Amino acid sequence: MTDNMPQFFQELFHLETSDCLTFLFYFIGAFILVNIASVIGGLATYAERKISADMQLRIGPNRVGPYGLLQFLADGAKMLMKENIMPLMADRFLFNIAPMLCLVGIFATLAVLPISGNLTLAHLDVGVFYVVAISSLVGLGIFLGGYASNSKWSLLGGMRGASQIISYEIPVVISILSIVLLSGGTSFKTIVHHQGGLPHEWFVLHNPFTFIAFIVYFIGSLAEANRAPFDLPEAESELVSGYHTEYTGMKFAFFALAEYVEVFVLCGVGATLFLGGFNVPFGLDTFLSKTPFPLLAEVVQLGAFFTKTFALYYLVIVIRWTLPRLRVDQLMSLCWKYLTPIALFNLIGTAIWMVYFHDQSIVEIIKAAGSHAGGGH
Amino acid sequence: MENPQVLADSSQGLSVFMPILILMVLGVVIFWGAVLVAGLIRPSKPSKLKQTAYECGELPVGQAWSHFNIRFYVTGLIFIIFDVESALMFPAASVFKKLNSIGLGGLALIEILLFVMILVAGIAYCWSKGDLDWVKSLSSKEK
Amino acid sequence: MLVVAIEKERTFEKVAIVSFLTILFILSALLMLVSCLALLLTKNIMHACTFLLAALLGVAGLYLTLHADTLAVTQVLVYVGGVVILMLFAVVLTGGQDQESITKEKFPHLAPLFGSKSTFLKAFLVSMIFFVAAASLLRLGEKEIVHVVAVNYAPTIQSLGQLLMTDYLFAFELVSVLLLGALIGAALIARPMKK
Repeated sequence: MTDNMPQFFQELFHLETSDCLTFLFYFIGAFILVNIASVIGGLATYAERKISADMQLRIGPNRVGPYGLLQFLADGAKMLMKENIMPLMADRFLFNIAPMLCLVGIFATLAVLPISGNLTLAHLDVGVFYVVAISSLVGLGIFLGGYASNSKWSLLGGMRGASQIISYEIPVVISILSIVLLSGGTSFKTIVHHQGGLPHEWFVLHNPFTFIAFIVYFIGSLAEANRAPFDLPEAESELVSGYHTEYTGMKFAFFALAEYVEVFVLCGVGATLFLGGFNVPFGLDTFLSKTPFPLLAEVVQLGAFFTKTFALYYLVIVIRWTLPRLRVDQLMSLCWKYLTPIALFNLIGTAIWMVYFHDQSIVEIIKAAGSHAGGGH
Repeated sequence: MENPQVLADSSQGLSVFMPILILMVLGVVIFWGAVLVAGLIRPSKPSKLKQTAYECGELPVGQAWSHFNIRFYVTGLIFIIFDVESALMFPAASVFKKLNSIGLGGLALIEILLFVMILVAGIAYCWSKGDLDWVKSLSSKEK
Repeated sequence: MLVVAIEKERTFEKVAIVSFLTILFILSALLMLVSCLALLLTKNIMHACTFLLAALLGVAGLYLTLHADTLAVTQVLVYVGGVVILMLFAVVLTGGQDQESITKEKFPHLAPLFGSKSTFLKAFLVSMIFFVAAASLLRLGEKEIVHVVAVNYAPTIQSLGQLLMTDYLFAFELVSVLLLGALIGAALIARPMKK
């Protein structure tokens, strides 16, 4: 695995290193990633409508494009043409800045998303730490959007949204800390390297504490992204539309895009931390990287990463259309009285497991016990 | 005055942060670009009615915020304590495995345990005093 | 594009006139200075909090130019993700965003420093600022030009963790006691008074 993406491409095309070329590769990579993320966000709205329709015995969108696949483009075009209504007493500056904060916060997390071994844009050593820190900009964007609209519903939705996001950040971060303990580093490269391709080599099945940590992380990330059953800040039946009641047109489109891309990023981080990331079973990627087409290895790794992420995304969508919404006091007590103590317990449990069993996973312990019982062979 | 020595490029490794900067700038550019393009396409007919805040069809009454809800602020305070704790735990947790492999695992475990337990005591205190309750129950006042 | 192509035929060593470090420094410093200035000159307190947010992001960028990546990320996590949100909550919860400016001064924040009566103080302070700026630009009083040694960027989180767990263990544990004190104090103050 080469050090970074421009170096990989420079070796691939046999070019000499230079600052100019590095910047060019980074820029093109960032541009492509932003487009892919936006398309995934758009397709996620389509997937949500189709899956919910399937669960409710309807058909869902099927007019625009084959099987209604281009529905998100039609929605985007519609929102482009809607009038930009700003409430009279709204705070002009903050009203415009809020969706931009959400968008910038989420796009900045795309840089470290470990989509494949060599195609990741930035292999930061503080990878996971950085993702947690930068995604707090989204909470700020939500709060400012709610405040700037100068409407009772928006302000209440904004405050609830912000306090929900900051509260659930704690169990999520502590679950991530258990994985950092196990892998010995915050870099995504290290975390993926310490897992394997097959399910028994993933961190989720490493020990019972990380299994519970995965569940805590998943519930927490549902709440971080304001997804049902935690979507009180944007509850349609209660607060009209919460913090984005007064937003129209492209600004609303960017709020929605930021939310869907945030779910994608959180699922991607969860897949990397717990489900093995871009590791491919049976060492297929190391085998392919030795062939004359090293890009195939990257493609296979991309496939593994996206499969796991989309599986988690499917779960997120199904949960939205299955469970009823939580009340705000239930939401807060779930976070502080249940998830945070459980997450802290997992952290201590993982540390004790590591010291007592010397970093072995359950499967390794069973194998070692089995070979020991069989005469150490 | 002799020319000062030119600073050699010390950012060979620092360019790993370049995509982050590029993405942030791209985010800003895309946002304002899209809003600009939409501004050219969309209609713009502001009216008094359209610009009033939406309250399910009724006219809005009173200013936006009137009631003082301290529970939002208490949640924020407790959050920031745990935020700083997790910010300190990240460096400590990332060397745990290395310390474990050289045999100092028990010591590191006790250190982390102590750090976490002190804060667990704090959250237990807040829980018992009812600071974590979103709605202060009336029944506890009657007791 | 600002990167300048370097001629390779000359014999002096390659110098990147505009490296990523320079661009990062200029952008972070500009962000910080502009938002600090806007923070001082605005009359709306919510805008001031937002400009504080931008200024703290600029500081994080400056930490990055000093190769302190863990510190930069901690800055974003704690300040941007915590302190600014708390400030915004406090302002909205106490109704501060509706308050008019109490004085009729044009720049109410600077009123204590530049009060209407002390012309002499104003003149003195302004001349001090100009003197310091001019002295640093003209490099008065410097004996020799400092030669800076270039250091390659190395990630810091592992070494920080190691120091925290070994050399500075007592400080590490003491911080948790400090946080406990802050937690109990804050919860105590925020509790409603018993009637």
